[in-house]
Amino acid sequence: MVAAACPQSPWKARFNRFKTWISKPQNAILLILGIILTLTTVFPMVTIVRDTVTVHNGSVDARNAEPGQVYTTYNWTDLFAPQTSTARKLATKNLWTPLLNSVLLSVFACIGAIFYGGIFAYLVTRTNMKCKKYLSSIFIFPYIMPQWTLAVIWRHLFNSNAVTGGSDGLFASLLNIRMPEWWCSGMFPCAVVLALHYAPFAYILIGGIFRNMDANLEEAATILNTPRWKTFLRVTLPLVKPAILSTVLLVFSSAMGSYPIPHYLKLSTLSTKYVELNVQRAGQASILAVIMMLFGFGILLVNQKTTSGRKNFTTVTGKSGQSSVVNLHAGKHILAVVFILTTLFTGILPIIMFAMETFLPNPGDYSFISGGLDHLTTKWWLTSENITENGMYGNKGMLYNSQIWSAFGNTLLVAILCAICAGTIGTLVGYCVSKNRRSKFAAYVNNMAFLPYLMPSLAVGVAFFIFGSRIGIYNTILLLVLTGTIKYIPFASRSALNSMMQLSGEIEEAAIIQDIPWWKRMTRIIIPIQKTSIISGFLLPFMTCLRELTLFMLLCSQTMIITTMLDYFDEMGLYAFSSGINLILIVVILLFNGLVNKLTGASIDSGIGSDSK
Amino acid sequence: MKKLVSIFLALALVLSLCSFASAETVEEIIAQAQTMTNEELYKKAIEESHDAVVAGVGNSSRGKTAGASFVEMLQSIDPTYAGSIDWQQPKNNSIFTMLESDINNTSHQFFMTLIQDGNQIQKKMLDTGYLLNFVPKEWAEAEGVAKENNENPLALQTLNKVFEFNNCGEKTFKNCWDFVAKDVHTQFMAPNSEPVGKNFLYMLTREDYAAVVKEAFDALSDDQKAYFQPTIDEMEAEAADLGLAGENAKYALAWIKLFVENYQEETDDGPICNNLVAKTAVDQSGLLVYSKLRSIEESEELSVNNVTVAAYQDDYVGFGGYAYKHYLMVSKTSPYPWTACAFIAYMTTTKEGFAAWGKDMGGYAPVPACMQDHSKDGYVDGVDTYPAKNDRGYDWWINEGKLIVEDPAYAASVADTLGDWIDALR
Repeated sequence: MVAAACPQSPWKARFNRFKTWISKPQNAILLILGIILTLTTVFPMVTIVRDTVTVHNGSVDARNAEPGQVYTTYNWTDLFAPQTSTARKLATKNLWTPLLNSVLLSVFACIGAIFYGGIFAYLVTRTNMKCKKYLSSIFIFPYIMPQWTLAVIWRHLFNSNAVTGGSDGLFASLLNIRMPEWWCSGMFPCAVVLALHYAPFAYILIGGIFRNMDANLEEAATILNTPRWKTFLRVTLPLVKPAILSTVLLVFSSAMGSYPIPHYLKLSTLSTKYVELNVQRAGQASILAVIMMLFGFGILLVNQKTTSGRKNFTTVTGKSGQSSVVNLHAGKHILAVVFILTTLFTGILPIIMFAMETFLPNPGDYSFISGGLDHLTTKWWLTSENITENGMYGNKGMLYNSQIWSAFGNTLLVAILCAICAGTIGTLVGYCVSKNRRSKFAAYVNNMAFLPYLMPSLAVGVAFFIFGSRIGIYNTILLLVLTGTIKYIPFASRSALNSMMQLSGEIEEAAIIQDIPWWKRMTRIIIPIQKTSIISGFLLPFMTCLRELTLFMLLCSQTMIITTMLDYFDEMGLYAFSSGINLILIVVILLFNGLVNKLTGASIDSGIGSDSK
Repeated sequence: MKKLVSIFLALALVLSLCSFASAETVEEIIAQAQTMTNEELYKKAIEESHDAVVAGVGNSSRGKTAGASFVEMLQSIDPTYAGSIDWQQPKNNSIFTMLESDINNTSHQFFMTLIQDGNQIQKKMLDTGYLLNFVPKEWAEAEGVAKENNENPLALQTLNKVFEFNNCGEKTFKNCWDFVAKDVHTQFMAPNSEPVGKNFLYMLTREDYAAVVKEAFDALSDDQKAYFQPTIDEMEAEAADLGLAGENAKYALAWIKLFVENYQEETDDGPICNNLVAKTAVDQSGLLVYSKLRSIEESEELSVNNVTVAAYQDDYVGFGGYAYKHYLMVSKTSPYPWTACAFIAYMTTTKEGFAAWGKDMGGYAPVPACMQDHSKDGYVDGVDTYPAKNDRGYDWWINEGKLIVEDPAYAASVADTLGDWIDALR
């Protein structure tokens, strides 16, 4: 009665509604994560945009600035509306050519990855090709290995004194074959190497669909006497379209932000140009990063559209659990041999070549082939003194080199912390979003968590570089962990969201009726049920972090983590050290992957596979 | 309670006033330090950083070795000294961002820096007052010290990058114009990846150096002159546009144009050296740090003797390469300014302090007493086995080798106009 006499004010009613909403743990967590993710994702982006209009001391934008002037539009006008012929040439060189190369490289990498990975996925899942188990494991090696691995191998194989200058690679030294320049450096090798690196993406995503595909549709087409090629084009291909789109979205942004491959194989892209411009044109370099970010936003929008379309598609199709296997006849052996040879080049050869490089007396010095094993050395591993002679440049051998092991320790620390933070936040995002499926705010938080993944790594690195420099945490483990966490949350959030979506709400409701507290529900019910997916969400950031260069290269000194150190040795021409570190990294990643797979049943494949939905 | 609060506030006020009264700025400390001997500076450093981990940043990783040696020396004076130097070497030119960020922050970590690239130092660090110069008393008073171009900013060492070529073929390079001749692609680090290379190109336009280029041009045969002349003529108008008034500027610009358009880019001097010493690298040439020759391990495929240092040929004409410097400076917000001054004095005035760099040929300290003799580095058991490694020394390289030496002020003065022009060439 009293309530009717004194109606509640609208503000009070709203506050009460909010109080009720926030009293649910999943809502409170969602709100906190929403704020944190907005700040950590948007703030660095705002910083980078601001940097494009900031006057930098000693940079070209300071030329026409008045003393004390803080902001300028010079960087934008000089790139997009150049006034002089020199400025026009520079705009072409610094913006348009790298932009075109980046887009083309991303497109070619997508096509290559889908073609190679898709065919392999089809052969493994829908045919009776031989050695499937072995090939399936070895095929994902290039994705597990650091991105630049194949680029370095490409150089070691095909460079020649006559074409690229410098010392002869293996092909020229041993076989006297000199490949043309377009083969050795530029767009072609970059696209091939990126495609090979990301083909496992396509394999896992497309393979996931092939594996679960309803074979009744294809059988129906066969019964109706439809030619096999038509069945493939009209039935099979449309079914895998969502996976192809997913691959395109993920590979496009990753390829666009790739720094090491175009750097090693000499292609001017937005990422390589960013590093180059940062000396005298810091503001213009930031514009390139903004452009890369815009591509990330574009991909997010496309992803939104395709994801909703995919849901409908999947509902209509359903799963029958049947699958038909195409008999390749003699082709099952031939194709297996072809793939064994190809994966030998992409998976095994790098390991052998890296190992061999660490025993050569000088980089690229294969004199042991003609002169015998006496021409090999263990100095790169076993030198225990600090000497500058014999190519050591004051470095101790790898087994005695405290700098290398300290960098390795830092990398492990960063990877563990990133995995814990990204895994925890991502799992919570997945949980909270699945509990608020129809909420716009939940969709916003989900997008905010996914956005950094679609941003090219270099753009995220640049954003945190400027952000970190401004707040004084440049070159700290904290900055690396913060950046890595934000970038890798999507691994865990996607994995967790997909698995939480499959979880019936009744399970948790039963516990709520029993008055079980939230943390107990999580640790005793939710997490144990979805253990494998959640572990994948922790494992993927860990593995990716171990081999990450592009994201971290601007954020710390050269000796802080193992990948920047590797890059430093590589640039210095100390290929034995960089190869040794590469080797150690590959072995460690494979060991961890195998160990976690054995212990928990979770693996990188299942993590990526869960993304295919 | 009120009394307690008032006492606390009063105490806080007195303490803060005291600290204000006693606080000296880094500039004041440098002014005092410049009048002190090394021994006095070391004592101040021991007092200041007795148990501290001080952070230094530099372009040379050997700062770490020098830092360890410095700490050892301080411990020999005071065995209880427990300080240490955490040396960081940033990547990709980010040293300037690191320093700027550190100086503009509320808390500061870097006590000093070892830095290269005169142009950026001038514009980003000196003109802004971020870095301060300190000249040790014992350096200024050292016997035979080469003060010119080394005092402000204070140079730890001058490093040379020299023209070298593979001698396994027939081709010879007797003139600096040979490195920009038709179909010659001299290996070089891209000027935007190592800006000291760009400073070298800037410095070539200074009239005295442009005159060296012109003199070398005059020594060419008529055929060679005929090849280069159209480019030189084309550069006359460019020189005027770029505000280069010297009469020989067009020769310098022509050389720069041909060089930039044709050099073969490498990531570092290490790979260039490894490439050149291979017996398969017939007729190839490079412009690289001289000391890299020291790191070659002789094998069937690779030998230092496969390489000729161009300027060491008796009949070579023109400049034999260029020189840049490592500068030592104190951050204006240095948290340990006395330790910074002591460390700088140690590296620039003592043989032990310079030892981390002194063992390399091609690096020259302004104080002769710090230097090691490298004139017979190519000798094995008393026999001159690798003549290319016998360093002829700073004076020879400056006067006979005609190195183009970096001058921060000049490089900065032309960088705006010439920088764009060079960038647009390739």
